[in-house]
Amino acid sequence: MLTKDDLTRYERQILYTGFGEKGQKRLKQSHVVVAGLGGLGCTASLYLTCTGVGHITLIDCDHVELSNLNRQILHCEEDIGGEKPLSAARKLAKLNSSIEVTPVFKKITEHNARELIKGADLVIDGMDNLQTRFILNKACVAEGIPFIHGAVQGLFGEVTTILPGKTPCLACIFPEVPQRRSTIPVFGVTPALIAILQVTEAIKLLAEFGSLLTGKMLYFNGETMDFTFCNLVKNQNCQVCGTKEV
Amino acid sequence: MSIKVRLNPILKSLAGGQEVVEVSGHTTGECLENLESRFPDIKKMIRDKRGQLRPYCNILVNSESIHPKELTTPVKDGDQIDIVVFVTGG
Repeated sequence: MLTKDDLTRYERQILYTGFGEKGQKRLKQSHVVVAGLGGLGCTASLYLTCTGVGHITLIDCDHVELSNLNRQILHCEEDIGGEKPLSAARKLAKLNSSIEVTPVFKKITEHNARELIKGADLVIDGMDNLQTRFILNKACVAEGIPFIHGAVQGLFGEVTTILPGKTPCLACIFPEVPQRRSTIPVFGVTPALIAILQVTEAIKLLAEFGSLLTGKMLYFNGETMDFTFCNLVKNQNCQVCGTKEV
Repeated sequence: MSIKVRLNPILKSLAGGQEVVEVSGHTTGECLENLESRFPDIKKMIRDKRGQLRPYCNILVNSESIHPKELTTPVKDGDQIDIVVFVTGG
């Protein structure tokens, strides 16, 4: 049920054809997990909060550092040394006190990933490393939870929406987990843009309108301002979501 | 025989902005060598010092994974190869 304040706060998006009060109610009833509170996760959780997603869980195991502040916009100088989920949750509560924000200061592992995301309506990929992305991908497929992948490097970024059982998953594209690389360059604007695309996908998926970035990867090249797509095909032999025995 | 190699945006910048490069070869490995001979920076990006494909790169033929035969899969005229470079940051 939307309150009078909800109708006022979300008035401009409720006006959108195909969304309306019905869409807003769906967002209010939704639970989204933001895995990682770096450049992607900060921007994603900010927009999930102001758009009225009813429950947001923020997961990260890192502390805020000075070198984060060029892109992780929910953390301030006074937060340096603090736990990222708590730092982020404090800001989000000030932005929208009508939603529930749950900070979880934990490392996502093979052992706890399914438990951490269980019951969520979708998971936003805000990770900064490939290993955990693949753990989350596997957990989302196992739990049947949509996974909105995003990743950045420099002025490049990519986004795709993974619907377990229906679309290719990350392991379809990369059958073996690539090894971690060293610290990568990144401008703050790149994760901001990619995260907003992830949240755009989340809004449509939760409120059930529009079309999704499924079965294709959207690539953004900020150097040339190109947006390009690559079709993704489900790998029947995929060890995570494949239908053939391997 | 003409094979089209479609470049990930990261690689595109190493090929003078070309998104699609026509190459020749009978296998994916030959096609990549043909590409790398023209754009040595791409070789540095996708191969390690031993010439192996770096683990964050994957090769698709006609949009399908060819793992674990990334460098030995036969290709024919009109096929499309995608070089996918996994972006890591967040």
